[in-house]
Amino acid sequence: MGANKIAIIGIGEVPTRTMPERSRWDIIYDTCMEAVRDSGLSKNDIGAVISTSPQAQPQLTAELAFGKLPEELGLENCKDTCVVNAGGAGTSNCLRLAEQYIASGVADAVLVHHVTVHSTIPVPDLIAFFAKAGVDLQWEYPFGSTYNIIMGLMANRYMHETGCTPLQMASVVTALRSWASRDPHSIFYGKAVPSPEKVLESSLLNTPLHKRESNILADGGCAMVVVSAERAKKMGKPAAYKLGESVRYFSATPMMRNMEKMVYGLRDTAKEAIAQAGITSSDVDIWNVYLAYPLAHPIMAEALEIAPFGQGGQYFLEGRMSFGGDIPWSTIGDAPGRGHTGSGVSAAVYVETARQLMGKAGERQVPDCAYVYQNTSGGSGFNNIATIWGRDPK
Amino acid sequence: MTTQNAQAEQFDMTRPLPIVQPWSEAFWAGAREGKLLLQHCKECSATIFYPRKFCPECWSADIEWRQASGKATVYTFSTAYDMVEPRFWADLPYTIAYVDLAEGPRMMTRIVDCAPEDIKVGMKVEVTFHKLDDKFSLPFFRPAAK
Repeated sequence: MGANKIAIIGIGEVPTRTMPERSRWDIIYDTCMEAVRDSGLSKNDIGAVISTSPQAQPQLTAELAFGKLPEELGLENCKDTCVVNAGGAGTSNCLRLAEQYIASGVADAVLVHHVTVHSTIPVPDLIAFFAKAGVDLQWEYPFGSTYNIIMGLMANRYMHETGCTPLQMASVVTALRSWASRDPHSIFYGKAVPSPEKVLESSLLNTPLHKRESNILADGGCAMVVVSAERAKKMGKPAAYKLGESVRYFSATPMMRNMEKMVYGLRDTAKEAIAQAGITSSDVDIWNVYLAYPLAHPIMAEALEIAPFGQGGQYFLEGRMSFGGDIPWSTIGDAPGRGHTGSGVSAAVYVETARQLMGKAGERQVPDCAYVYQNTSGGSGFNNIATIWGRDPK
Repeated sequence: MTTQNAQAEQFDMTRPLPIVQPWSEAFWAGAREGKLLLQHCKECSATIFYPRKFCPECWSADIEWRQASGKATVYTFSTAYDMVEPRFWADLPYTIAYVDLAEGPRMMTRIVDCAPEDIKVGMKVEVTFHKLDDKFSLPFFRPAAK
């Protein structure tokens, strides 16, 4: 499993916004129907539905897990449905399961989707969820740790080891927002791109994380239709073919995470996925990185051997990863640019990977885009799943 | 109604206590007495933190508790000024750190008795216990005595 078996042939997405007026099912209808229509198939061609688990939305999770979606959309030939949860890595596992459904004959076409509406979740519930998710309730949470602080711990160590400056770190936001400002699905679409200096003017949440280096919780959803690579090829439509995959587990509890082992894992998964795809690093047209926080991007740039050790931040400051730069990077702007939809950001990155390979990315379209690296990561970074997607089958 | 009362009604302002497993109760009993305890595997000599039911290195059940020196080095830290849970608001600003214990394991803690701007990676620290209630005391660290 992993290489040259499946392809994404249809995508659907609603803009990421704050939109409490839209119910979760309203978004599910629109994204799933758009993806099926985009695929050229009909609703009754869908043989299975897999949902990326919507975090902090227990009622919807239960409804999806207990099979409501195929019934709601009238998918008459759907043979099975389930919810997959690995946090931000959930969508990667949805695609793996889709591959298994297709390989085992359960389904010829699988609908994978995600929806999150944060804006109608009571604030105390949101705070309680994000305070406890991804940290250990015995050995971390009682000390007052948060997601932001976990990122601050990692960033401070990285800056200590490499000499990366606050201005270089802040420039990651500038790069991500430069893509997001041109993405109609981003919460920052059409908005001014803050300079690194402007980013640093925002208040300090916890060292070294400034307010503009954090995420805005938002509402959104997207969907994809997946078929076998063979079938996609026969259909002759623009598609994104999965060509390679590799994964490493690090640790569930942030304090147990060996940073060196994590960096090696980021590096090795990329190398293995690229090798499996039968290409080289220089063939990759877009590094579609999903890390949720900007502070981790310089580490990733170095792990991927795009920037030399200690130079990741400088690469961002020079604008090389920004829109118009020579290293297309996180072309929806990752969570800081797109707006944070929980586990939905990684789903949105997959849709963007497909969109770019299909040649439908509008102003952000990377010319002649043939290969995309994409990663996902779950929890507070318990793993890294690296994948390579191509415009053509192998 | 005061602002503080309004917050207390909207948010859970109670101090979170560690969610304890049976095999970690001895750690918290030690912390109550001002002792930092670590597990030691008698089979493979691994020093274990956080506490486990079996040794994570060799799966042996032959584990004993040993008192640690309480000495550690700051691996990294982050000082919080905003955007923490309401139940921690009263503590702001506070510094969370990973410290490497002299015995090897790394743990999360708070650095106390020190101005945030004076905290550095590589700083030598020593344990001090912060009482939450009659059952729990958290192992915090402060700059080591010269």
